[in-house]
Amino acid sequence: MNWKFGYKLFVLSAKALHASFFRSFLTTLGIMIGAATIIIVAALGEGAKRDIEAQYSNMSVTTIIINGPSSESSPSKLSPDDIPYIESVASVDQVVPLLTGKVSVNTHENVNGSWTVVGTYSNFAEVSKLEFSEGDNFNQESEDNHVKVAIIGATVAEELYGSRTPDIVGQTIVLGKKEFEIIGVTKYRGGAFGPINIDESIFTPYSASYRYVLGKSGKFSFNVNATSLELLEPTMTELGKVLRDAHKIKVGGVDDFRLRDMGATVASAQSSSQTMALLLASVGLIVLLVGGIGIMNIMYVTVSERTREIGIRKAIGAKDRFIMTQFLMEAFILTLVGYVVGAVSSIGIYYLLIGMEFKIVFVPWSLLISFVVTFLTGMFFGYYPAKKAASLDPIDALRYE
Amino acid sequence: MSMNNKTVIKLENITKSYFIKNTEYPILRGIDLSIQESEFVALMGPSGSGKSTLLNILGALDQPSGGTYLLTGKKVSDMDKDQLAEIRNKYMGFVFQNFQLIPTLSTLDNVLLPSFYTGNEDVKRAKELLALVGMSERLENKPNELSGGQRQRVAIARSLVNDPELILADEPTGNLDSKNGAEILQLILSLKKDYKKTILMVTHDPQIAKLADRIIILKDGKIAKKI
Repeated sequence: MNWKFGYKLFVLSAKALHASFFRSFLTTLGIMIGAATIIIVAALGEGAKRDIEAQYSNMSVTTIIINGPSSESSPSKLSPDDIPYIESVASVDQVVPLLTGKVSVNTHENVNGSWTVVGTYSNFAEVSKLEFSEGDNFNQESEDNHVKVAIIGATVAEELYGSRTPDIVGQTIVLGKKEFEIIGVTKYRGGAFGPINIDESIFTPYSASYRYVLGKSGKFSFNVNATSLELLEPTMTELGKVLRDAHKIKVGGVDDFRLRDMGATVASAQSSSQTMALLLASVGLIVLLVGGIGIMNIMYVTVSERTREIGIRKAIGAKDRFIMTQFLMEAFILTLVGYVVGAVSSIGIYYLLIGMEFKIVFVPWSLLISFVVTFLTGMFFGYYPAKKAASLDPIDALRYE
Repeated sequence: MSMNNKTVIKLENITKSYFIKNTEYPILRGIDLSIQESEFVALMGPSGSGKSTLLNILGALDQPSGGTYLLTGKKVSDMDKDQLAEIRNKYMGFVFQNFQLIPTLSTLDNVLLPSFYTGNEDVKRAKELLALVGMSERLENKPNELSGGQRQRVAIARSLVNDPELILADEPTGNLDSKNGAEILQLILSLKKDYKKTILMVTHDPQIAKLADRIIILKDGKIAKKI
């Protein structure tokens, strides 16, 4: 068997499949959906992975986050009053308080929107490696005096002011009900700092945000850095102790705060996104399995219908392996067409999902993976019908009505 | 019949039995036969005489249970499935009662098919053969667009495409009206006359059998009579 023979066989098989177009289409539908599913699932998985990476990309592995308790019923007692206690732990390097909340924002040109306001200390800029395209950070003095100044994120600046006003610094902006003076604009950087998307936030001194904007409705947390990765565990243990002291929790009492280290958080987020991807991938495989069974079914029917043809072919000299190749070729073409249609429609679905603001990132190798998997499915499920066709006795097959 | 002619078929004590639930049912009980090149032999016999079985063995579609089958000196009775397929492909031309054309293929593709499996498709030769059988005008038609007589012409062209040693015709006029039957018969006779083909034809019709060089009558798995 040579290439020319293979090519002729391909053309012959393609013609045979085309002759019963609708049936061929139905046969390969499962393969199409399976192939598309694999590609889309890979893109969703990659999207989720990138999303997690971006969320934590700006944080150090030595970061510890201190949150209020998860249940709403017991309000968090965390406040800047805890800072001296936290700083009393020797292995603590930086403590950044964060008060966050969504508020309505108005420029004096009456452009408005709803953005996250983050009240924090001036060391936030250092810890989160904030860079400014215009203006600068606020200082301790602003904190001490509840000065209404704000640093706005790059995306916020663009949404509110567009590119028409080069000098945003010095303008006033209304956060909630109070006017703040813009003193800085951050450079666009992408990613996030824990729960905070830097480009999409407005930063003010903690004291001003508490007094004029967020008050008790804001969510409070600490971002603490340990001096080294080795000291992360003991630091967390120590922090637990000092915070219980600070909040006067008795022995046996329940913590009114939660301590999480970034490493563990990232790992758990990654593992849950992997579980999700695995789940979706197995859906894709099941679809392919069903598609493969569909191919096998129809091919068995085809072999029965074409028993006479197989008898004729054998009588005039087709060897078993030629018959086998012919039917495998048909399975291959069905699979190939299914794959191509599936892959092309997955591109459509991909853009549809992007339009729906799904976090989805196309992965080129998913094309290869889905091809290999669909190909194997087609060959595996095409094998038995092809084998049956090849092993037919020519005399019986010729007599078949 | 000149004895200088090459022997195409030589059967020595061919037997064939089927086993159903360990019981042996002998179909052929020792057939000795030789057929020379460009001989036209008619094979007759009542149904159940073993005609079809003998034809299948001669056509390398089946193997005998015992005995030796030599085709132009090659020991067909020892061959495996693939070798038999090759024998059928290169040395046999089949003409069946019910034509046995592939319904999805055109006239031309049907004729080309044996050479497709040999790997030397020759469209020019296929067209010449179709011209020989008077089917040049219907190259692209599918079998269901042809009459019975036309289908059998296509089948004859197909049987010749690989220039076989032996044409095996199994009641080739059995499904045709008398006019078409006569034409097909003339065509087959011309293969012997013009192309020196060796022909073995199974028939029920004594009138047709009379046209053959020899008649062999099979009865109960044995050759009852040679005429």
